[in-house]
Amino acid sequence: MNLFEPFATPFMARALIELIILGALAGTVGVLVLLRKLAFVTDTMTHTVFPGVVIGYLAAGEGGIFWGALAAGMVTAALLTLLTRRRKVSEDAALAMLLTSLFALGVVLVSRQSGYTTDLTAFLFGRVLTVTGEQLAQTALISVVVIVMLALLRRPLLLRAFDPETAEAAGYRTGLLDVATNLLVAVVIVAAVRAVGTILVIALLIVPAAAARALSDRLALIVPLAVVIGVLGGWFGLATSYEASIHHGVRLAAGGTVVLVLTGLYLLAGLGGVARRRIVRRRAAAGPLDQATAGISTGVTG
Amino acid sequence: MADTAPPASPPDGVPPDAPPEAVPPDAAGPQAATSETVGPEDGAPRERDVTLRMEHASIAYGDVPVLEKIHGIVHPGEAVALIGPNGAGKSTLIKAILGLVPVVRGRIEVLGRTPALARRDVAYVPQADTLDPDFPVSVEQVVMMGRYRKIGWLRRPGRADRTAAAEALEQVGLTQRARHRFGTLSGGQRQRVLLARAIAAQPRLLLLDEPFNGVDAVSQHALLEAISVLKGRGASVVISTHDLAIAHLACEEVCLLNRYQFGFGPAEEVLTPECLRATYGGHALELRGDRVIVAQS
Ligand SMILES: Nc1ncnc2c1ncn2[C@@H]1O[C@H](COP(=O)(O)OP(=O)(O)OP(=O)(O)O)[C@@H](O)[C@H]1O
Ligand SMILES: [Mg+2]
Repeated sequence: MNLFEPFATPFMARALIELIILGALAGTVGVLVLLRKLAFVTDTMTHTVFPGVVIGYLAAGEGGIFWGALAAGMVTAALLTLLTRRRKVSEDAALAMLLTSLFALGVVLVSRQSGYTTDLTAFLFGRVLTVTGEQLAQTALISVVVIVMLALLRRPLLLRAFDPETAEAAGYRTGLLDVATNLLVAVVIVAAVRAVGTILVIALLIVPAAAARALSDRLALIVPLAVVIGVLGGWFGLATSYEASIHHGVRLAAGGTVVLVLTGLYLLAGLGGVARRRIVRRRAAAGPLDQATAGISTGVTG
Repeated sequence: MADTAPPASPPDGVPPDAPPEAVPPDAAGPQAATSETVGPEDGAPRERDVTLRMEHASIAYGDVPVLEKIHGIVHPGEAVALIGPNGAGKSTLIKAILGLVPVVRGRIEVLGRTPALARRDVAYVPQADTLDPDFPVSVEQVVMMGRYRKIGWLRRPGRADRTAAAEALEQVGLTQRARHRFGTLSGGQRQRVLLARAIAAQPRLLLLDEPFNGVDAVSQHALLEAISVLKGRGASVVISTHDLAIAHLACEEVCLLNRYQFGFGPAEEVLTPECLRATYGGHALELRGDRVIVAQS
């Protein structure tokens, strides 16, 4: 399989750049999702962003998708912050019902269109091959804003994720930090929705960070690893989908292929993690007692 | 130029950021005036020599008071043990001193300020077993968290921050473990790391909520040592505990709590069988309290 040849055409090059930016962005924010255990909240957002996408499209065509998704994402982020502050969200049947209803609303609205199935597929699974230069610029801008926010808030966010009581005791406004977190996640979902669709974006946010976590215990390594894995997933996924479609006559949807490749990378990382722990344990068994819990840092202080 | 300045103004004067609103309206007039005019030659203990002042404080979540009429003073270098049965309100009092639970009647003052305004000088040590052991942070990262308020948003940790963190870790005897993941340490060691994090913040008031639960003798000794060093530097300490022996060992003062305050004062005066029986409602004493008191006398 050729990893470079497919991207000679402009539309494939644009798709590649879009997925690389999104992979890096979602990988980074995914670490925050992982640390805060927000997989459920993220999933919720992908469901509520969907009707926003549809309504935006119906109101203003292609260009309305972004703003519809953004509006829905912001509202959901705010609502979820309120709900999660009162705990028990993950068990809340009412919330699950609301989610499904909103999702159904999106489906019903799309189904009234003439080209119903194509539209629906596009919203759910994205259309990365039709990404325009303007959309690329939008994604890049969003990424810069999100990364700057994360860089500024990294210490409070870390403390809040690790030890919320102490964060509050130290005088951090944890409520505001939670709103900021949910907004960051919402913005990533919105940025990714056109390219990979509302269903697949969750994989982009969850899988690279989880794979990176399997490979390392150190945050300073987990973030770059998640970025690399996110980028590789986009790149290999797109190349695979192209290869299959052009040279083997098998049509593979780009978005879906990207997710499958990410899952493959996660499995590899899982194996890598098992091997890593085994090495650590063997080294610990061989070394003095104090190294028994040294983890991967064994030897650094030696 | 600088050394010609008259010695009349003491360098250790009243903190400039002491807010006037900390004084309740009924006492604002005369009291505020006198504390302004009191000079350094006045030998009497001044306002700033009190770390924690609780005046008939009632503390409530919502409408229902959980603690009522809590009254007492803690001076620099002193430690007070909060003792009482489960649900007595020990954790609640600590949260009120942090300004996280409202004082609905009376008042609580930390370093002459309202609790919320004093947070930069207060450090809190939670129970280590409430934290996720899988969280990917190293011991030194956890200790550095104690410096976050001083580091701010943009700056990277500087030499002062790294020195403070390293010294704090040294004090709890875990320098060797600096680079290990927090979750790989034992429960007692994790508790020591959390204390190191609090020490790194260089607080004037340290609040510990049941720091000795499930902690072995070695770790307990290390914790007590570090606490006494901090006291030696003039910090005050509040420890909630179920262990009367610890109260005797580490604390000058004891506060007996069970919704109301059943005693506040020197350990030997307050930790009497009568007071304890009153606090625990008569029956809890046979389990542990009596033995400790017998051992003490
Ligand atoms: N967030 C809350 N909202 C309402 N009531 C609360 C809350 N937290 C605690 N309480 C109530 O306040 C009372 C005191 O609780 P607190 O946790 O302060 O007790 P404690 O002395 O720390 O007990 P323990 O020894 O079990 O830790 C209890 O009756 C409890 O039900
Ligand atoms: Mg408690």
